[in-house]
Amino acid sequence: MTEKITFAPAVPIPAHLIGQVQSKLAYVDERILRGAVSPQGDGITLEVRVPLSPEEQKILEDKVQQVVAAMARGALRPKVKILEDYLDRPVPYGEDPMPELERRGEVFQEAAGIYTLGPLLTRLVAYFESRFEELAASFGAQPYRFPTLVPAKNLARVNYFHAFPHSLTFVTHLRSDLDVINHFAESAACDEHGILHTPEGTYADVETLLSPAVCYHLYFSLADKPLPAENVTATAVGNCFRYESSNLNSLERLWNFTMREVIFVGAKDFVLANRETARRRMEKIFAEIGLAYRVESANDPFFVGEFRKQAAFQSAFDLKFEIRARLPFKNDTLAVGSYNYHQDFFGRHLNITQADGSPVHTGCVAFGLERMAFAFLAQYGFDESAWPEAVRKGAAA
Amino acid sequence: MRDELTAQVVGLVAEALQVAPETIEAETAFGDLPQWDSMGHMEIMLALEERFGVEVSAETIGALTSVPLIVAHLQEKSDD
Repeated sequence: MTEKITFAPAVPIPAHLIGQVQSKLAYVDERILRGAVSPQGDGITLEVRVPLSPEEQKILEDKVQQVVAAMARGALRPKVKILEDYLDRPVPYGEDPMPELERRGEVFQEAAGIYTLGPLLTRLVAYFESRFEELAASFGAQPYRFPTLVPAKNLARVNYFHAFPHSLTFVTHLRSDLDVINHFAESAACDEHGILHTPEGTYADVETLLSPAVCYHLYFSLADKPLPAENVTATAVGNCFRYESSNLNSLERLWNFTMREVIFVGAKDFVLANRETARRRMEKIFAEIGLAYRVESANDPFFVGEFRKQAAFQSAFDLKFEIRARLPFKNDTLAVGSYNYHQDFFGRHLNITQADGSPVHTGCVAFGLERMAFAFLAQYGFDESAWPEAVRKGAAA
Repeated sequence: MRDELTAQVVGLVAEALQVAPETIEAETAFGDLPQWDSMGHMEIMLALEERFGVEVSAETIGALTSVPLIVAHLQEKSDD
């Protein structure tokens, strides 16, 4: 039995922060099923799994107020820069594609945020990826294959634990001990909630995580030495993992998703010029795909304590722009990609240097493949004859 | 007057970045030392807001990226 709790935030939540605050409510307490901020930013509603006593409600409300205060008090209104606006591009479909995808067996949910995709979605993903590879080829990007796992010590070097602790996914294994392994093999069992129960001391210390990003692996491989060439341009596709608690939702917000990236490493001018060139080239590709979208300034989903400062910094220096595709069925948009500039952050933290000894600058353009396919179906539906010609031919069965 | 202001800014930057004042010079800029990174920069901005009433906006964050630029901004503000 769920219960709803409503209260006013201690600090009014400005309109530009409503979505960001709302997404963080999922991490406040495990009993929260859903959290919503009113459109005016003056009310918060929590749906909790179990009825709470007045004292428990008060404790929960205090935790939420901490989040609100940290994110909204003195919040800087970000610059809103729109680099491209094709949101009004006419599209023929207006339904949520998920029910039809489920009916057709095109998606199979293994768990929250974990999906198997069927043939139609796989064809679309392959097609969109081919277009992103086309972009990579236009830069002469060298292909790379990166691991799915990432050592904790590497993420620590780039302050990842500080900035995005909420979305980490940890990897471990059984301790290398015969008794532990035998005991596990004999007793391991999942309960009705899917929780694997094991005796304490079964698992080894965490030294590894599932990778949250693609481009980081290139930077790790270049660490602690001069850049091997004046500039490096690379491309790779990879699995990424970002835990989003109760925000995990359909193909819009997956725990395990795939990104294709084109990555630039070198001098500042090189990185910035190529990020801009990539955007202009993608503008033409998106026109062929017929995507209704907008490119606008954005910030990464930093956790509460870091949010205010980091988001303000990204905004001030135009570090991130998102490609936000229209979802007509909910009159909203979904980020399907981004154009990013990291300044010399990775160069400094990983000691990657240019010929003159100064730290390299980095940037990447990244595309979420499942989200691209989802947004396309949300705009064009399942009648392939209504799809733009390029997609119809490129993603043909 | 300007020298005095520069000294104040040097002190503020050193304090915000939690480094010894002698580490900061009259020409020090963003990126010149590891502590003056994105987070360090935002600490400086918040200190400027608190001590000199500088409005922290996307414009000031993007513009006030060195000791001389901060000094010039404060000077301009006091001349208004």
